[in-house]
Amino acid sequence: MERRLGIYIHIPFCIRKCAYCDFYSITATELRADYVNALISQIKAFRMAAKNYLVDSVYIGGGTPSMLSGEEMTRILSALRMTFHLSDDVEISMEANPGTLDGEKLAAYREAGVNRLSLGLQSADNTELQKLSRIHTRQDFEASFLLARLEGFQNINIDLMYALPGQTGEKLADTLSYAISLNPEHISFYGLKIEPETPFGRDPDIQMEIPDEDEQYHMYLTSAKTLESAGYPQYEISNFAKVGKECRHNLKYWKCEEYLSFGPAAYSFFDGKMFSYIKDVERYLMTPTDSHALFDEMSVPSKEELATQFVMVGFRLRRGINIAEYNARFDDDFEARYREKIKPFLARKYMVQTKEGYRLSRRGMLISNYILSEILEF
Amino acid sequence: MKGIPYMNRQEKIRNFSIIAHIDHGKSTLADRLLEATKSVSTREMEEQLLDNMDIERERGITIKARAVRVNYEAKDGEVYELNLIDTPGHVDFNYEVSRSLGACEGALLVVDATQGIEAQTLANTYLALENDLEIIPVVNKIDLPSADIEGVRHEIEEVIGIPAEDCPAVSAKTGLNIEDVLEKIVTDIPAPCGDENAPLKALIFDSYYDSYRGVVVYVRVADGSVREGTKIKMMNTGAEFDVVEVGYMSAFGLMPATELRAGEVGYITASIKSVADTRVGDTVTEVDNETSDPYPDFKEALPMVYAGIYPADGAKYPDLRDALEKLQLNDAALTFEPETSIALGFGFRCGFLGLLHMEIIAERLEREFNLDLVTTAPSVIYKVTYRNGEVKYIDNPANYPSPDEISIAEEPIVKGNIITPTDYMGGIMELCKERRGTFIDMKYLDKSRVELHYILPLNEIIYDFFDALKSRSKGYASLDYELDGYKESKLVKLEILLNLEVVDALSFIVHADKAYARGRKIAESLKENIPRQLFEVPIQAAVGGRVIARETVKAMRKDVLAKCYGGDITRKKKLLEKQKEGKKKMRKLGSVEVPPETFMAVLKLDDE
Repeated sequence: MERRLGIYIHIPFCIRKCAYCDFYSITATELRADYVNALISQIKAFRMAAKNYLVDSVYIGGGTPSMLSGEEMTRILSALRMTFHLSDDVEISMEANPGTLDGEKLAAYREAGVNRLSLGLQSADNTELQKLSRIHTRQDFEASFLLARLEGFQNINIDLMYALPGQTGEKLADTLSYAISLNPEHISFYGLKIEPETPFGRDPDIQMEIPDEDEQYHMYLTSAKTLESAGYPQYEISNFAKVGKECRHNLKYWKCEEYLSFGPAAYSFFDGKMFSYIKDVERYLMTPTDSHALFDEMSVPSKEELATQFVMVGFRLRRGINIAEYNARFDDDFEARYREKIKPFLARKYMVQTKEGYRLSRRGMLISNYILSEILEF
Repeated sequence: MKGIPYMNRQEKIRNFSIIAHIDHGKSTLADRLLEATKSVSTREMEEQLLDNMDIERERGITIKARAVRVNYEAKDGEVYELNLIDTPGHVDFNYEVSRSLGACEGALLVVDATQGIEAQTLANTYLALENDLEIIPVVNKIDLPSADIEGVRHEIEEVIGIPAEDCPAVSAKTGLNIEDVLEKIVTDIPAPCGDENAPLKALIFDSYYDSYRGVVVYVRVADGSVREGTKIKMMNTGAEFDVVEVGYMSAFGLMPATELRAGEVGYITASIKSVADTRVGDTVTEVDNETSDPYPDFKEALPMVYAGIYPADGAKYPDLRDALEKLQLNDAALTFEPETSIALGFGFRCGFLGLLHMEIIAERLEREFNLDLVTTAPSVIYKVTYRNGEVKYIDNPANYPSPDEISIAEEPIVKGNIITPTDYMGGIMELCKERRGTFIDMKYLDKSRVELHYILPLNEIIYDFFDALKSRSKGYASLDYELDGYKESKLVKLEILLNLEVVDALSFIVHADKAYARGRKIAESLKENIPRQLFEVPIQAAVGGRVIARETVKAMRKDVLAKCYGGDITRKKKLLEKQKEGKKKMRKLGSVEVPPETFMAVLKLDDE
C-alpha cells in the first residue's frame, strides 16, 4: 500500500528580514538560480524512496517563496512530479509576501500547480507593519489578495499576529474584522514570540511595548471567539479555517505523519528517520546529494519517543488526542501513562474530556507549554 | 633555598603580616614582595599567589591565612629570612586575624592613597597594637591620579598615632618603590627573641586538611624546637601526636626541613585526621616537657549566624552531608546538624562566622561539589528563658516557641564601629536608628571623616545592613563589629503563608515594632519572585496567627505558543525539555512551586 506523504520545500530568500523573524533566510538573492538547481537535484535524489509514497500535500515555505519566478516554480514542481507520485487532489500550498506579487507571477504559479496561497498580512495597521519591518502596507496586501482571487486562487490563508508591540485590543479587533471581510478560507493567528537573535530580541524598548500576559490572554480568547463566530472554527492552537479548508500540510505535523522537506534547515520525518538539512545555503549548494555532510541532525526515534511526540503535537489540535488511535499506533495505554498527570488540568478546566480522549480547552492552549512540560517525559 | 648559617640565627628572621582593607591590594603587594625577593618569577607566579582558593581570588579577599618564607638580600649585604603571614581581611574572621598577628613581630599597614583608612583596617591595626607589633605604614596605589600621599600619611599619624612621614609610598600594581618596603621590614621590624632551649611553645595560626599528609598545621615557634618524632600536645584540645614532618612554606609549596626552631614559622604534619584538633590560637608544646607559658586568650571560633542548607534535589542529601564533612576538615568554624523542614525536606542547619562565611561555604558546596542548594534566610541565635525557668538557645526560627511559653527573650548584640565621610553621617545615623542601634559615641578622625560607635542587634546586621551602608555612603562607609552579649528584646516570630499554608523555611524572628514593615516587604518580594501558578496564590505574613500583610500572585494565563516551524519538532521538544528542567529546580511548598532563589530573595529588602 502506498504511504501518504507531505513534501515541504524551503525557499530561504527574503528581500529583507522582518524584525521579529529568526527563521532561516538570507537576503543574497543572486544564489537563486543555483539554489533552484540544487533543490531539483535533491528532489531527484529521492527517486528510489519515492516509489513507496503517494504525495497528497506540498508546501512551499520560506523565507519568501514568492521571490521565485513563475518559471523557477514550474521547474521545481515538475521535478517533484517526475520523482514522486502526486495524488489527484494534492494540495500545493505556497507562502507569498504581498509586495512581491503581480498578476503575471500569480498566473504562472497557478499554472505550475499551486492551488493554495498563504499570504502574510500580520496586521492591518500600517504603523504596526512598519514596526515589524514588513515590506508591505495594508493597501499592498489588499491588492495582492484581490489579484490572487482574480487569478483563480480559491483557497487562501491570511497570516495574522497578536501581541505586537504597542498593539491594543481595538487595533487587533480591527485587523481581525478586516481579514474576515476579505473572506479567506483560512486564518492563521500567531502570537508574536520574541526570539533572542532578532532585532526585537535585542531591543528592550520594543519588549516594554509588548502587551502583558493578561492582555495577551484576553486578546487570544476574544479573537478566537470572533473568528469562530465569523465561520472559522479553530482546529489548532493558532489556526482557524472554514470547514474542510484546514491546511493539509500542517495537519501532518500535528498528527505525527510523514513529511519530507527540501532546503537548508528544513526538517523531515520520513521513513522512520528524523533529519534536517544543514542551515547554510552556500554549503547546501556545494555539497553533493549523496553526502552525509548535507544533513545536520539525523535520528531514528524510538516508538516511545514517537509516542511522546504524538502527544506533544497532538494537543495542539482542537480535537486533541484520540486514545484509541494512540494506543493502537504505539501499542501503549494512554490512560495508564497520562491519567494521573492530566487530572489536575482537568480539574481546573485546562483540559476537557472528549468522546475520543482529551483536548486542551482554550485556556489550556494558552499555557500549553506549561501543561506539556508537566505531563510529558522526555 | 638553604638555611642561614649564623650563630645569631634569629637576628636574621623577620615575621610580619599585612593589614589592609578588603580591596586595598594586599595580595598584589604580597606578590610584588615575592617577586622583588626573586623567590618567584613573574612568569611562574600565578596572580595573587597567596590566595589559593578560587572563590577568594574572585572576590579579592583572603579567607584562610597562608604563610610563605622568602630570603631577601638587604642593602646591608646580609640575607634575611622573611616570613609573610597572610591574614583574612573580613570582619567574619576577626579571631583568625588576631592569631595570625600573634605569630608576627611586625605588620605592614597598607593604606589606599585614594581612600584613606577604613574601619576594617583600623580594627586590625588595633589588634596588631594589642599584640605589640611594630607597624610599618605603606601608602599604596600612588600611581592613581586621585592619590593623596601626604594627606594619607597625615591621616595615619592623626588616627593611629604612629609616625608616617617617611613611610614607603608604593604602587603594588606597578611595583614602584617595593624595595623600600623590604628595607623597612629589615630595619624596623624586630627580630624574634625566643629561647631555643626552653620547652616547645608554638602558636597555631592556621591549618588545613591534605588528603595525603593529614592536617598540615601552620605554626610560629616561640620557644624551643620541633622535629620529626617530637611528641607534641595541643594544650587546649589536649590532643597528642607524633610529628611526621616539619618544614616551611616556600613560594612553590611545602619544603621539608630537619627542624623548626624558636623564631621560625613553618608547618608540622603528624597524621592528624581533623582540623578540630588543631584549633587556631592553640599552643603546641612537647608531651612531658610542657611550656609553663602557653599563648593566652584561646577561644574557639564560634558560629554567629545559622541557616538551613538543603539539597535542591532531595536525593542529594547524602552528597550534601559528605561535602559538608569535607569542608569541615578544613574549616573548624563551620558547624552543621541535620534538620528537617516541612517545606524543604532533609537538610542541615549550618553555623557560620558571619554572612560572608556563609556565602563562601554555599558557593563552595555548589562549585566544588556540584550541588544545587536551597539556602534559607540566615538567623542569629536567640536566647529564650521559658516560663518554667528553662533556658534555650534557638538557632532556627521554626523552633521558636509561642509567646505564652516565653518568659524572657534575648537577642545577640554587637559593638559596631562605622567609619564614614562626614557627608554621609546623617544618613548612616538614620540607618542605625532604623536598625535599632544605640548610639554610644563618635570620634572625628579628621575634618572629613568620623568614626561612629553603636550597639546594634546582630539580627539587624545580617539583613542587608552592609548593602544599605554602602548605598547610603556611595560605598565609602565601612563597618566592623564584635559580639557584645545578649539583650532582652521584644521579639516575635513572623510567619509566611503561601496559599494559606505556613512555610516553615520562610519564617523568621523580628523585633515586634518592625514586624509590620518587614512582613509587607517580604510579601512584596515574594510576589516578585514566585512565578504565576495554575491558580491564584495568596501570600500572607502573619504574627501570632494574625495576618499583617497580603499580596497575590495571579494565576498563569499564557505562555509562549511557539510556531512549530517547518516540522522542527526537535526544537519544540528542546524548549519543553528546558522548561521541564527549570521546573525540576523548583521547590514545592505545599501546592506552590517556587524557585530556590526565593529563600534568599526574602533577604534582599531594598533599603528605603
